[in-house]
Amino acid sequence: MKTHVKQTTLRRLISLVMLAILVALFGVLGGGSFLTPGNFSEILRDASVVGIIGVGVTYVIITAGIDLSTGSMMALVGMTMANVYAYTALPIWLMIVIGMVVGLVAGLINGLIVARLNVPEFIGTLATMGVFRAVTYLIAIKDAHGVIQSQPLTVPEYTVLGTSVGPLFVVTIVMALFIAAGQVVLKYTRFGTRLYAVGANRKAATLSGIDVARTRVIAYVIVGLCVSVGAIFTTARLQSTTALLGSGFEFDPIAAAVVGGVSLAGGSGDIVGTLIGAVFMATLENGVLKLHMNTAYQYIIKGVVIVLVVMLDALYKSRLERASRERGAQGGAEA
Amino acid sequence: MSGLLLETRHICKSFSGVPVLQDVHFDVRPGEIHALMGENGAGKSTLIKIITGVYAKDQGELIWDGKPVQIDSYQACHALGISCIYQELSIIPPLTVAQNVYLNREPRKGPFIDYATMEKMTQKLIDRYDFPLKPSALTQDLGMGQRQLVEILKGLSSDSKLLIMDEPTSSLSGKEARSLFKIINALRDQGVSIIYISHRLEEVYALSDRVTILRDGKNAAVLEGDQITPKVVIEKMLGKAMEETDESSKLLRLGEGEVRLDVRGLTDAAGRYRDVSFQVHKGEILGIGGLIGAGRSEVVRAIYGIDKAAEGQIVLDGRPFAPSPCSSIAAGIGFVPEDRRSQGFVPLLSTVSNVALTNYDIIHKNGLAISAVDERELGKRAIDKIDIRPSDPDKEVGLMSGGNQQKVVLGKWLVRDLKLLIVDEPTAGIDIGAKKEIYDILDELASQGVSVIVVSSDLQELIRVSHRIIVMRKGSVVREFKGEVVTQAKILAASQGVEQSEGNAQ
Repeated sequence: MKTHVKQTTLRRLISLVMLAILVALFGVLGGGSFLTPGNFSEILRDASVVGIIGVGVTYVIITAGIDLSTGSMMALVGMTMANVYAYTALPIWLMIVIGMVVGLVAGLINGLIVARLNVPEFIGTLATMGVFRAVTYLIAIKDAHGVIQSQPLTVPEYTVLGTSVGPLFVVTIVMALFIAAGQVVLKYTRFGTRLYAVGANRKAATLSGIDVARTRVIAYVIVGLCVSVGAIFTTARLQSTTALLGSGFEFDPIAAAVVGGVSLAGGSGDIVGTLIGAVFMATLENGVLKLHMNTAYQYIIKGVVIVLVVMLDALYKSRLERASRERGAQGGAEA
Repeated sequence: MSGLLLETRHICKSFSGVPVLQDVHFDVRPGEIHALMGENGAGKSTLIKIITGVYAKDQGELIWDGKPVQIDSYQACHALGISCIYQELSIIPPLTVAQNVYLNREPRKGPFIDYATMEKMTQKLIDRYDFPLKPSALTQDLGMGQRQLVEILKGLSSDSKLLIMDEPTSSLSGKEARSLFKIINALRDQGVSIIYISHRLEEVYALSDRVTILRDGKNAAVLEGDQITPKVVIEKMLGKAMEETDESSKLLRLGEGEVRLDVRGLTDAAGRYRDVSFQVHKGEILGIGGLIGAGRSEVVRAIYGIDKAAEGQIVLDGRPFAPSPCSSIAAGIGFVPEDRRSQGFVPLLSTVSNVALTNYDIIHKNGLAISAVDERELGKRAIDKIDIRPSDPDKEVGLMSGGNQQKVVLGKWLVRDLKLLIVDEPTAGIDIGAKKEIYDILDELASQGVSVIVVSSDLQELIRVSHRIIVMRKGSVVREFKGEVVTQAKILAASQGVEQSEGNAQ
């Protein structure tokens, strides 16, 4: 066989090069204000919530699924905790646990709808995206006139989660743990292998005795867990929550995964790729701000990048398939 | 009873009242390569699906190692030690060879997969059977032949006693196929039994210890050793002696007159067909015979312009023609695809709407809107031409019988001014009455001067409709029958690459 770079290695290289180009571009254009240690630490902070939620979302996309409800789910978790905070005397740690349970249950609901009731992922999670947001409005804390209030969460034991330890924010450290654990589970456990099998060839997975539905449900539950952790850190930094928390956020972890090489067709990509994608997205946002450009450009650039990346992936995939067929035709049964 | 690994007795199976298997016996000895043969629709795959637990049998017994067994799921069949290597691979491309072989059975250390042990186990298997594979290679980086080997390895890893291979060489090159044969022989020598299903006779001659032939859902013959000759196998498959005349033979025309379509040196980029040249005359029905996978459908798809050929020229009525579905329709070419349900019509639409789909250019328009009156008129005209009964123009086509569906697909084209109609497998899954009507429609078209290309795997049909026949094999035109008496046996022999002079089979 001729020497050829493994597909995964090449794809990793592409996303790293994209990130490097972006950093270099903003470095040249933005000069001093971009290339500072403080700014890098901010970029990492901004990438962290996307990175944490990206772990779950990557699992789901590897199974050839999608989750559009993560933004609403964040708001639901945040508002549940705000209620606990405002109306009970429960300790903060218990408030956090309750928030995480809500996330797990929301993820379980998504998983059951999609994998047990066989509703297409896109529709199922689009529906729960609306439902979670609506429930958030219902339980939102209102003033005497019925107007929804932004709910402060200002206990020091909680807001400490939004601060930094040395150069790194707490959330960045937690993200690093999530990414590491997520990658290990994906690559070194049966569950991780099953995710790939389910996404790449569902029929073959079933024939190998894999419980496809169960695997998919678990992936959605993990999204719920990741979203609840993301919600905790977001509200701790904002020191408050609102019913609008996370609107439009569902796009970000999906975009990060796609940029990082997780194919929406399922069966490929990994957590480290999604991390690179999350940092790429955060760098883009940060650079646009630092260059004092209209933030609307941020969305245009994101859109263009995603279309380009998906196009590139499709092109690459068809080339790969053809190469395999040609190798077949040339009789390359030798290793 | 002892001495047999698997035995099936009195197997019967019907689908919606139509018997597919009738009282079929089949047995496999330990350590033999047993070929299962028969024409399309003879019941081979149904029998295999009963053995592997995909279908439930209506009647009969399965006996494994001397004991009666129930096989009602793939898992149950696997537990006995039967592995099936499917035509469509069940490989997970993003995983390595070792991961695929031990999928969901990975050795673990605590919660983590023990990759070192898993790769060692895989390497041991690879060494034992001497496969050209590396445990750590990603399967998506492998060629088709190697992927097939991964599949086989997976089957062997659970100590299978019986491997079922369904057309294992269909995606392999000649060299890969030969190395697969070596492996199959080696497996047999190690005591593994193999059921081998293939359309390719030469593979069966080269490999098999015994051959069971099915015809029309019944046992036709079991041949062993020296009995396995091309002549006998073809006779048993067709149920007729080679020389037999009447229904199964016909004097073909010479193929004369004005040339309508001239195909010159058509070659596919992916190598599915090479240097294909032929002509179709005015008012002629040209039949294209050959085995499934010989490249016939690919050639006609290229002529209609669904896929592009890499090289070659298509000349229509003396002018070079660059086909695309749009320009082909405009030039008077019609196409009835092989897969009726997914490519031929829209199941949820009525006959009227389906007919209109390819004919919006000839339907009158009021401004931008399509004239509903005209659309209906056209639909009725099509129904008249093809004689659909009961003739409800508003019935959803998806609810009709296969015969009526195919007539609707033909009707779409008949309302046009056609020069050339291409029909891929015109009567697959259609009852005999409707078949005859479809043949009549094709005859009628030809007598009006329309040229017709018919691709068919049904030999009787090919002989019935064609004026002239070409046979493709492995992507090339290997034989033309014209101005001579053709028989099913001759076509089959040409498709197989065994000419009728005996004994030259490898």
